[in-house]
Amino acid sequence: MFGAFRPTNSLSGGLLWKIPWRLSKFQKQRQRKRLRAVDSVVATLDKALTKMSITTRAVERWKEEMPVEQEMVPKDKYSIFDRKEKKYRKSIRKLPKWTRVSQRVNPPGY
Amino acid sequence: MSFFRITLTRSGIGMPKRTQGVLKALGLRHRMATVFYPVTPEVAGQIMRVKELVTVQEVDKALTKEELRAERRPEAGFYLETAAPR
Repeated sequence: MFGAFRPTNSLSGGLLWKIPWRLSKFQKQRQRKRLRAVDSVVATLDKALTKMSITTRAVERWKEEMPVEQEMVPKDKYSIFDRKEKKYRKSIRKLPKWTRVSQRVNPPGY
Repeated sequence: MSFFRITLTRSGIGMPKRTQGVLKALGLRHRMATVFYPVTPEVAGQIMRVKELVTVQEVDKALTKEELRAERRPEAGFYLETAAPR
């Protein structure tokens, strides 16, 4: 049971990465901050363009399709849909480059 | 005539080639680099491609490189601190 050759998970199974499923409250706070930063960029663009009475397809489409941080449910902020996962959800940190990409909407019902 | 003041706050390393190309086209070569562009739909579309990586402000006039440098320069001289009452 004890000693150098005890059968731990990593010794018997090789590589073992323990990545917590949930984000900590600080990680969640930073995630919300990043979401709001993107919202503020879009809001700045929108304000500047409407002042000159121009519309841009990219901005209009974003406003139409994407919820702002305050409108999102916590489930969508911190996890994403994945058809291969149990209960169809996995932590958002499994998304490659998750701190630098926008992933806001998931399939309805999941 | 108003301008977008665009500062790259997150690096584009590891992002798709298209995203890195937009950063290059905007002239944002490294983090905290600041560029000014007039408010046009074209620039707005470019910013939308890299919106996660930049911070944007709308300003009335584009600053030159020297003015940007002067903005970061700390004030000359010194001031005396007084002891806080205990």
